[in-house]
Amino acid sequence: MTITAGIGYTLLAIGPSLSLFISVISKKPFLILTVLSSTLLWLISLIVLSGLWRAFLPLKSTTWWPYALILLTSIAFQEALRLLFWRLYKRLEDILDAFADKIAKPRLLLTDKLLIALAGGLGHGVAHAVFFCISLLTPAFGPATYFVEKCSKIPFFLVSAIIALAFVTIHTFSMVIAFNGYAEGNKVDQLFVPVVHLVAGMMTLVNFASGGCVIGIPLLYLVMMLTLFHCGKMVWRRLTDNPNRLVNSL
Amino acid sequence: MESSILSTIGTEIIGVMSPVSICMLLVVLLVYALSPSNPFSSASSEPIRTAANLVYLETPSDTAAQKLEGALLNALVFVILIAIVTFVLVLLYYYNFTNFLKNYMRFSAFFVLGTMGGSIFLSLIQHFSLPVDSITCFLLLFNFTVVGVLSVFSGAIPILLRQGYMVCLGIIVATWFTKLPEWTTWALLVALAVYDLVAVLAPGGPLKLLVELASSRDEDLPALVYEARPTSVPGNAGIRGSSLGLLVAGVSDSGSVELQAVTSDNTNQRGGENLANTEYMDVTVGNAVIERGEGDREEGERSLLVSNLRERYSGSGSSEHSTVFGNQENDIVVNEEMSPLVDMMGLGYEREEAGRGGEDNPVIGSKGIKLGLGDFVFYSVLVGRAAMYDLMTVYACYLAIISGLGCTLILLSVCRKALPALPISIILGVIFYFLTRLLMEPFVVGTATNLMMF
Repeated sequence: MTITAGIGYTLLAIGPSLSLFISVISKKPFLILTVLSSTLLWLISLIVLSGLWRAFLPLKSTTWWPYALILLTSIAFQEALRLLFWRLYKRLEDILDAFADKIAKPRLLLTDKLLIALAGGLGHGVAHAVFFCISLLTPAFGPATYFVEKCSKIPFFLVSAIIALAFVTIHTFSMVIAFNGYAEGNKVDQLFVPVVHLVAGMMTLVNFASGGCVIGIPLLYLVMMLTLFHCGKMVWRRLTDNPNRLVNSL
Repeated sequence: MESSILSTIGTEIIGVMSPVSICMLLVVLLVYALSPSNPFSSASSEPIRTAANLVYLETPSDTAAQKLEGALLNALVFVILIAIVTFVLVLLYYYNFTNFLKNYMRFSAFFVLGTMGGSIFLSLIQHFSLPVDSITCFLLLFNFTVVGVLSVFSGAIPILLRQGYMVCLGIIVATWFTKLPEWTTWALLVALAVYDLVAVLAPGGPLKLLVELASSRDEDLPALVYEARPTSVPGNAGIRGSSLGLLVAGVSDSGSVELQAVTSDNTNQRGGENLANTEYMDVTVGNAVIERGEGDREEGERSLLVSNLRERYSGSGSSEHSTVFGNQENDIVVNEEMSPLVDMMGLGYEREEAGRGGEDNPVIGSKGIKLGLGDFVFYSVLVGRAAMYDLMTVYACYLAIISGLGCTLILLSVCRKALPALPISIILGVIFYFLTRLLMEPFVVGTATNLMMF
């Protein structure tokens, strides 16, 4: 039962991204490299943030505002990092295009760009799931489970897996939205992503209230649905706008 | 035209990264399954005595200063031992004792698979209480070992099997190394990274000598090396066409990383176990050098390498080449993927070579990146050691090592010479381990247990 539970929690958290990885990403080596590098970038951001906050830890678990501050700084930092990631990607795109010209292959298609954005987002999302959920799952493989006070009806591992799933999805698809927004110069999309990230982060603050997770998690999933819907709409619009470029290698 | 360049770029890098990842994953699983916290394997909790801790035996009650001093001494002794063994190997190779070397490698592979692998196998059986009788177990182990030994140096073995056995060897040795005490492991890893740097890059370094010698003789390295050749025909006309396109365009030089394996004996004084099988990575850039070799054949020390490689790869060289590498070479030659990502960095002078490469095509791409077994082992040792702390450090170290490997491969295409694979990865891995352990863990645990995430 214990190992089953551990595997179950793991798959709950990263199952969808795992299938996304296997079905789309793993066929194209370059996308794998993108996933790895964006995961590394996210890890570095986490290390920098924890370096900043290390002096103030551990926080008292009775007051909520230090946590709000942590969330705020972290999200601001990561959104800044997303801009950096975009710059890097822009430079890479130029190199790739030059390279494609040189070997007489087609330049990057729209779908290729979307795929790269998806891979970058998946890297961020998986990094989130891995560090916030899966790395805490070690005890879940043992013969016991763990409950936190604030959310005493559901095992902690289950809650964190559910939250991680929401965040993986948000991270993955908000990267697609963001890259597209930057590429088109669309201010709404550019603002949409940090706002969604911030709102999602703030939703987890609801968990701080006793029994708050019953309200916080559905709200979080609402945000996730919104992101998914927006991303789907946007991609659909891009793909139908110029059908002649639809020839792709998916 | 149906495949975008996304599916061609980076194939070689992934070809090296995936076996390394598999190796690390299995070592982590083994470490988890057999860790001493487990009630079944607690019998082996007494520290083992190997060449890696000859001087000092760590006990938990020692002070930090004692541990540090002892660990440094251990690492020093171990590195000196390895250096001596490597020099002996170079000497033997220099005086053409190639057969002796190959048989020695076979013997050590036998020993590693048979005894060390056997004992891991036994502890696995105990741990999962598998019902196996001793005769079956012995037969299985013996067959496994014999096939492994055969696969080490003979050409007629499918490349997939050989790659599988290389990963197996790496896993087994790495699992043994994780039994070293903690401080010694860290000192040892750093020391080996430094040693690797020196041995491959410094003039007169043993591994540099060995690689140059091997390439001047047009032979394989007499060592345990993982070849990242594609294991099967991709079966995709797009890919095939694309790599041909690459070749014709003259962007054909794929850097090959040659890693060389040095097997050193560490006699376990209690159990008589043969413990260390350590190798280092050297990177030889094959094809690029060939093309460059056109004009400057007599360019000092380098020309030796250059001219020989050139013979090996151009025109008539193809027959020799296929005899060296075995028969299966010819079928897959075309499918050996270039590594455009690696090559991109060298865009500068590839232009000049455009137009060349018509006849040499089949052979040019045929030498994939090679990674020494030692790199597998010590990457996995780092990750395995991290696994004894927490899963979080495992992920951090894995990412650090893989990115270090990626950096090394990119550097390889820039420098176009033999490169050590350990230093960047190990240093990054060690840094990330301690950063994660000291900084990140309290932060993440603090926020996540309050269900705060972002």
